[in-house]
Amino acid sequence: MTTPDAGGTAAVPPAQSTPHTSKSGPHRAGPRKSVTGTRRTIAALFLLPALVLLGALVLYPIGYSVGRSFFDKAGDFSGFDNYETMFSDDGIRTAVKNNAIWLVAAPALTTALGLIFAVLTERVRWGTAFKLIIFMPMVISMLAAGIIFRLVYESDPDRGVANALWVGVHDTFAESSGFPQGHPGARSPLKGAGGGAFITKDPVRAGEPVVLPLTGVPPGQMPDDAESAKPAKADPGKVTGTAWQDFTRGKGRGKVNAPDTAEFGYPGIKIEAVKGGKVVASTKAAADGTFSLPKEAVGAQLRYPASNFREPYNGVDWLGPSLITPAIIGSYIWMWAGFAMVLIAAGLASVPRELLEAARVDGANEWQVFRRVTVPLLAPVLAVVVVTLMINVLKIFDLVFVIPPGSSKDESNVLAVQLYNSAFGDRDAGVASAIAVLLFLLVIPVMLFNMRRMRREGRR
Amino acid sequence: MLGLSACGGDDKDKDDGDKAGGGGKESAATVRLPELDGEKVSVAAVWGGAERKVFLQVLDEFEKRTGAEVSFVPAQDPIISFLESKVAGGQPPDVAMLPQVGAIEQAVANKWAKPVGAEAQKQLDKNYAQGWKDLGAVDGKQYGVYFKAANKSLIWYNTEVFENAGVQEPETWKEFMKTAQTVYDSGVTPMSVGGAEAWTLTDWFENIYLSQAGPEKYDQLAQHKIKWTDPSVKAALTTLGDLFGKKGFIAGGASGALQTEFPASVKQTFTGGDQPKAGMVFEGDMVSLAIAETKAKVGTDAKVFPFPAVGDESPAVVGGDAAVALKDSKGAQALLTYLASPDAAEIWAKAGGFVSPNKNLDLKAYPNDVQRGIADALIKAGDDIRFDMSDQAPQAFGGTPGKGEWKALQDFLKNPKNVAGTQQTLEDAAAKAYKKS
Amino acid sequence: MTIQSGAPKAPPVQVVKAKQSLGGRIAALVSGSVLRVFLVVVGLFWLVPTLGLMLGSLRTSADMSESGWWKVFGKPSQLTFENYESLLKDETITDSILTSVSITVPATLLVVVIGSLAGYAFAWMEFPGRDWWFLGVVGLLVVPVQVALLPVAKLFGEIGIFESTTGVVLFHTAFGLPFAIFLLRNFFAEIPRELLEAARLDGAGELRLFLRVVMPLGAPAIASLGIFQFLWVWNDMLIALIFADAGSPPITVALQQQVRFFGDNVQILAPGAFISMVIPLAVFFAFQRQFVSGVMAGAVK
Repeated sequence: MTTPDAGGTAAVPPAQSTPHTSKSGPHRAGPRKSVTGTRRTIAALFLLPALVLLGALVLYPIGYSVGRSFFDKAGDFSGFDNYETMFSDDGIRTAVKNNAIWLVAAPALTTALGLIFAVLTERVRWGTAFKLIIFMPMVISMLAAGIIFRLVYESDPDRGVANALWVGVHDTFAESSGFPQGHPGARSPLKGAGGGAFITKDPVRAGEPVVLPLTGVPPGQMPDDAESAKPAKADPGKVTGTAWQDFTRGKGRGKVNAPDTAEFGYPGIKIEAVKGGKVVASTKAAADGTFSLPKEAVGAQLRYPASNFREPYNGVDWLGPSLITPAIIGSYIWMWAGFAMVLIAAGLASVPRELLEAARVDGANEWQVFRRVTVPLLAPVLAVVVVTLMINVLKIFDLVFVIPPGSSKDESNVLAVQLYNSAFGDRDAGVASAIAVLLFLLVIPVMLFNMRRMRREGRR
Repeated sequence: MLGLSACGGDDKDKDDGDKAGGGGKESAATVRLPELDGEKVSVAAVWGGAERKVFLQVLDEFEKRTGAEVSFVPAQDPIISFLESKVAGGQPPDVAMLPQVGAIEQAVANKWAKPVGAEAQKQLDKNYAQGWKDLGAVDGKQYGVYFKAANKSLIWYNTEVFENAGVQEPETWKEFMKTAQTVYDSGVTPMSVGGAEAWTLTDWFENIYLSQAGPEKYDQLAQHKIKWTDPSVKAALTTLGDLFGKKGFIAGGASGALQTEFPASVKQTFTGGDQPKAGMVFEGDMVSLAIAETKAKVGTDAKVFPFPAVGDESPAVVGGDAAVALKDSKGAQALLTYLASPDAAEIWAKAGGFVSPNKNLDLKAYPNDVQRGIADALIKAGDDIRFDMSDQAPQAFGGTPGKGEWKALQDFLKNPKNVAGTQQTLEDAAAKAYKKS
Repeated sequence: MTIQSGAPKAPPVQVVKAKQSLGGRIAALVSGSVLRVFLVVVGLFWLVPTLGLMLGSLRTSADMSESGWWKVFGKPSQLTFENYESLLKDETITDSILTSVSITVPATLLVVVIGSLAGYAFAWMEFPGRDWWFLGVVGLLVVPVQVALLPVAKLFGEIGIFESTTGVVLFHTAFGLPFAIFLLRNFFAEIPRELLEAARLDGAGELRLFLRVVMPLGAPAIASLGIFQFLWVWNDMLIALIFADAGSPPITVALQQQVRFFGDNVQILAPGAFISMVIPLAVFFAFQRQFVSGVMAGAVK
């Protein structure tokens, strides 16, 4: 409904025309003859407006596009150059590739979901309400759907619901650490140890308190029990020290590499003593940041393992270049699953119960009945749904035009958008016409199929 | 028509009153406009949202004074292609607001643009510095009237973040990097980059380049008289790469920045209390428009400092929208005259988010100190201003999403170590684009 | 439209169930509740995007830039009609709704009228090559609009209706016709011949026959066609983007312009999109019954 579904829906007549064709009423017999003995001029008058419009705005443009596709931007004859451009220009190649992805993925997934929904709702009393909810998105414009999904896919998990859910699920399984963004400041005794860990530059000695200053943990994310940092007491035979945030709000680092009272310890931060690449001892800091390690740690280097600093998980870049096409396809499925569901449900309703019953009596379980009886019986409807969706997907425009941010526009390109850009952006009528012709060629099989079916029905 | 033509009887009465009173009595008017009763004037511009709304007010005043009926035609970016379709369709607007020097040149080359008339020229001579007039001229002939200027050499910051980190506004690039480091140490990501819209990235490059390599090289590069493989470009990209490549300095990392559109890049700097997603954001004065959509107030929560000097001096990169007449109509010329006057500038200046290149506009018209400061700096820069380089370049290179400089700099943001590769890509794209034009 | 054709005919599933064994019934019960939970979850999942838009449209842009729409559940005081108020004061948007109406109504009426005339001619008049002509129309069903954009833009430019409401209406009419003719011809063809002959005997002329007999009998099909076309035209963006006057665009294009200029100016986009959805949703729900009866009438007759 949303987009020119004239083509699509019409290819689907089962639901509409089933009533007509399935039931061959008495009046159906014999060829319909003019009841009125019409004069041809009157017939012509009835047909004229339709034929003029169709001729001028549908037929003529097809011819024009075919012709124009052999001329270049300036209007000079250029043979098949435009078609070559179509498959050599990077942007258009991406469009062709994406259209292929769309053609394969979107109709299949949409139909599969539609089938699942139709089958499952068949036995539920409030199935109609469910169907209504699933179907509703189809009534709105693709532009509105695009705006809706721009909001859904917003990358900030505080604002985009997709990422909020995703991060929520993720965080229940993988806890984030307490000290994200912690890092050594300038002139620190610590250095990077690869993989996000930090290690002291020098080995530590017993009885000499060690300082392990870091900066950059956002104040809002500091553990609630953090207390003001204290220098550690020397303890002969042990390695003691302080792990703390060497940064005071509004003041900067204060005394560099020494805990000031306004600075906070890192309660619970993990500290490892490493000797020759092996962890010989480990501990966690107290609320004031102090810690102590047994004598095994003497002579070792102290390390903050990377697990302390794991960044909070920020979700997925739905609208980033790599996921943009799947993300848009997702919004398409949201819109069109209802269409598939409804048509399939109608088909399902006309599956003869006796057949299913017979299969069950023969000992088939529900899955087998579904697989062996229902699906084959539904095959014609499924085919019609898939073909309709394919035609629809072929010319997908609005969603791809609206959803991707500037940096993903390239990667999300499809033929219809490219055609628009070529025709009305680059003003290259040649290439635009070539794309139009390609789109047209791709629907010709369906066109012929429709015409053949019509003729067969006519003969019946 | 946007319902602009609300000028019924009342307005005309007012007009008559004015006319009767003669020149002396006109309260604020500094410019005389012809009577254009019922004449239709159409103006095309790419402005939307808040900008469009204010511009409509500016046009309202013109309607009131002349009796003309003005319609606003929302154009699509790039406006030059949009105009091409209009001209091809035989219905060009009377006036178009062209956002690029390159667009003016193209409009002249296509023979669409009409030179400014005597009245408008008078206003220009009176109110504009030579630098601004030159930007609107092609081959010595004046076509464009710069109505709206943009100071693109500004860095906006969240005052609370600066306070918490205990830092001051930096003046040089070195200080700037140090400030950023301290902000980072305080637990806030220093920079927000709206990399989804690549023009923000070209502006980054241009400011660094102008300050580091100097105005002469800047002009040469803008005209592609030196290549993008030049060592000066390497130096500028390396400087920019230092910032972009520093771990933790860019909000969301490179991939996050590439998905952040300009308004979002501003908003995330001024929302989130004392834990915003970033502490600073770079861009021109239009940042204040996006701030207005948050709870932050310009002047208290959000302040601004000039782009730090990478070389000897701070850069002054400007942009602007020039009105160009596309029809030889009386209405079009009158509108240009009006837009070149302080009267028109004042209306938008008061509404905010606007800087006028008009030196006779009273600075009092600006709504706050921040805006006034920006305007003052712009007027004081006089003829030393440099127009946005990417806007001077052929559209295919400097102004098309997913192509040329835009694409190259987005890729550079992704991989800031790739200086040489980026230079090569830029040069290849530039060579192609400049040859064509 | 076709939706209801399946829904109302709840198949007699009970017959099957009655024959199941006790164990089978228990299994069915368990899987039944699992199924219900699953469907509820899916239903919610489907509602969330729209819900997000709706709640988002009821928050200020400042709130929206701070947090997600679901935060209103904890803070209902954030809800406000501010966005809608300022939107309805925005002439760009209010005018665009009027433009949408002034495009959609004629485009729908024209398709219905022209389609009915042609559908009737194809169904009940005799002229040479009738079936071939009709086959041609069927062939046009799947022609993508994209093929026509550029040539028609040029054509319209030449006759001076490029970037005008007239142009948009004509384009929509032309591309709506194949489906209209297809649908109506098939429907009209089902009208009992005797009815037409009786009317003919009463001395009705061709036009009278069409207006007094065919149109009323075809009402259900005409209604569903009208709703189809209405929704299609109302929701269209592409054709309006190209053929409508950029100075007074329909709602879809007006909103799209806001997308490109502002990136995330939710305070216009969210309520705007919501308003643009209200009409198709209302049309859909209001005429749902007509639909059903239309489809039913076709089946029962």
